Amino acid sequence: MRRWGVVVLSVVIAGSVLAAASAQGSRQGGTLRAALDRDPPNLDPHRSTAAVDRQVFQSLYDKLVDTDENLRIIPMLATSWTISPDGKTVTLSLRQGVKFHDGTPFNAEAVKYNFDRMQDPKFPSARRSEIGPIQKVVAVDPATVQIVLERPYSPLLYVLTDRAGMMVSPAAAQKAGVDFALHPVGAGPFRFVEKIPQDHIALERTPDYWAKGQPSLDRIVYRPIIDDNARVANLKSGDVDIINIVPLPQIKQLTQEAAQRGARFTLLERGAFQWYGVWLNVTKPPFDSKPLRQAFNATIDRTVIANVVLQGAAYPAFSFFPNGTPAYDPGWKIPPRNLPLAKEKLQAAGRPNGFAFTMLTLPGQQDQALAQAIQSMAAEAGIQMKIETIEFGAMLDSMVRLQHQAGQIGWSGRPDPDFDIYPHVTQSGIGSFNFGGYANPKVQELLDAARLLNDMSRRKRAYGEVTKILADDMPYVWTHFPKEYKLVSAKVHGFVQVPDGMMRFHKVWLSP
Amino acid sequence: MTLFLARRLLQMIPVLFFVSVIIFVLINLVPGDAARLFLGEEAPPDALAVLRHEMGLDRPLYVQYLRWAGGLVRGDFGHSFKDNRQVLPTLLQKVPVTAELAAWALLIAWTIAIPAGVLAAWRRRTVVDYSASAVALTGLSIPNFWLGIMLIYLFAVNLRWLPASGYVSPAQDLGRNLRTIVMPAFVLGVVLAAVVMRQLRSSMLEVLSADYVRTASAKGLGARVVLIRHALRNAVIPVITVMGIQLGTLLGGAVITESIFALPGLGRLAVESIYGRDYQMLEGVVMFSAFSILLINLIVDVVYSLIDPRIKLAGARS
Repeated sequence: MRRWGVVVLSVVIAGSVLAAASAQGSRQGGTLRAALDRDPPNLDPHRSTAAVDRQVFQSLYDKLVDTDENLRIIPMLATSWTISPDGKTVTLSLRQGVKFHDGTPFNAEAVKYNFDRMQDPKFPSARRSEIGPIQKVVAVDPATVQIVLERPYSPLLYVLTDRAGMMVSPAAAQKAGVDFALHPVGAGPFRFVEKIPQDHIALERTPDYWAKGQPSLDRIVYRPIIDDNARVANLKSGDVDIINIVPLPQIKQLTQEAAQRGARFTLLERGAFQWYGVWLNVTKPPFDSKPLRQAFNATIDRTVIANVVLQGAAYPAFSFFPNGTPAYDPGWKIPPRNLPLAKEKLQAAGRPNGFAFTMLTLPGQQDQALAQAIQSMAAEAGIQMKIETIEFGAMLDSMVRLQHQAGQIGWSGRPDPDFDIYPHVTQSGIGSFNFGGYANPKVQELLDAARLLNDMSRRKRAYGEVTKILADDMPYVWTHFPKEYKLVSAKVHGFVQVPDGMMRFHKVWLSP
Repeated sequence: MTLFLARRLLQMIPVLFFVSVIIFVLINLVPGDAARLFLGEEAPPDALAVLRHEMGLDRPLYVQYLRWAGGLVRGDFGHSFKDNRQVLPTLLQKVPVTAELAAWALLIAWTIAIPAGVLAAWRRRTVVDYSASAVALTGLSIPNFWLGIMLIYLFAVNLRWLPASGYVSPAQDLGRNLRTIVMPAFVLGVVLAAVVMRQLRSSMLEVLSADYVRTASAKGLGARVVLIRHALRNAVIPVITVMGIQLGTLLGGAVITESIFALPGLGRLAVESIYGRDYQMLEGVVMFSAFSILLINLIVDVVYSLIDPRIKLAGARS
């Protein structure tokens, strides 16, 4: 009996050693199936506006620079960069010998073409405001390009880690015109094969990608699975290998399941990138009154939202800078819920018995749960909040035109802190991202000054001051920073999670 | 018959014209700015203006309509606002998925509902009748998203017998096609079956109490012949009406079922077009649905006359 046990055990060990060896040997090849929360609408990085497009772009387009898992800027198509002492010229040295998927060489002229394309008034690009301060781009020699700015612009390098830094093939873009999104050509590790709307996007490996030994995968298939429960179930059943958005209310259960022995998937967590909360329209009653905004804010229990409603899948928030991002300040305290203060502020505003307002919110289990929690918190101070559930396009329309009273919506986050705050609380953002209709000369001045500073610790000080003003004026009631999660099959190896939530598959390989 | 068909087909033209006006106006009444949804929240005003011009949205509404309707007549359904994809080929890509799903759902519904409805009526007020009705009511009250997720967990996650989602065309791989379509077809079929079964039971009850059924039994015909040949054939007419309506609805796309099983059908195309204010794509989907409902009505009318020769098609020579 015991002898048999030993034999069985050694067979098992030998078998698993062999399996491990073959897994090592078969690093090359395979098809990775990634599920997305919605169908990417547009595959042209210069015209894309949906966050989900960026997931596919990570494989299709290389950028001038990228961010690592600690959100530091690292070389990609640009190997190094220098900023002139006056901060108005950024010089990039370009990687040589790189080709786009159609064979067009990548060089300084190609970079210049890309910026011209984004700034072409006849080709409305969604990137225009991000690269607004760029005056011109000069090709110094084939391997060097100069970006000349109207004024110093500290967010520039971070902007280039995103869609504005994604290089498209000039030859292909010229040929396809407005149809470029149907035939996307970049310089990324994977090239475009096909897109069947609402079904899949298929990419295949670029044979002569510039980074040696990359990529390992033969193919990537992105599949939109819009139902939260179905997306998780598809990962569990092995129909997909990774999912981009894990529903926060399921985090607790998935953590337990992933910790079980023999679990076929892991749940990865790394930092936070998005902010979430409630916009108060300061141009319309009732929230044109500052004490009423403060009263509403004082009723919110951020710890309950993060730990009870979202079961720990978020950090409580009281600024625009999520935990772990460059401008995050751990010294900034989350104020506790304060009902007496709320009553006091209501009294001060001449509304001791409270007031009523309507908050717009998006459909979906999570937004509804958050709205209901806020509703009951506010009610305890006599503030009657009506919840109006509305579809995204209609909500955007109402909030851009400042027709709402309040609206619950967040922001997907950007690697540079500037875009997490600037367009949301300044005059220039009214009609676009400033859903509070809020403007304050002091805030404007501080944020403009921060754009000129290249030193993050000094920028951080400016953001701290702005946050203090906003915490008093309260055009936006921050509630939480959702944590960044990925649900990954145990077959997937070499996946590095970056807090920006984007899935980079350059180094990923699959075990059988 | 030919005359009848020709007349009915000609009658479709004014109906489709009214449908096209109504959907065009309704879609343009929906709040939301297509150009802004395309360019993003931070779009500068001049870029928005250029894009509106590119999309033709800066013209008066009647000009936009005439341009679109003129295109329809020539077979040009326009382009998607999202990535300039052509509407008609995209639409035609979705039709086989939705049509296959609808066909299987109907087949499953008939297979369950017809025997159940006949039995329930024949064995009226017995255990058979009550349990069939109970099952039907349950089928009717189960939400499809719940049933869909439960099936996925049972057959895809736990048993690993079926893929959890996706679509493979039968031309590509028939086996995989059937394995992907069976769960969504069942989810849709169960609800349809419940409706059809209830409808069939009540119309069977009516027919079974008719004189000619009593006569047939009195002649000494067997229960099976009476039930199938005499009763069912007459009872099935109102059921066909219901099936026609159901089929029309199914061809418009089964949004929830398609979403849960990630099927690239017409329903999801419609919903994504609404969310993105992709006007021309949405108009194309709605026009197609309207056309298929008209066509199904025509087919239903023809089927009536085949089943019951007493029903004459107007204009047909007798």
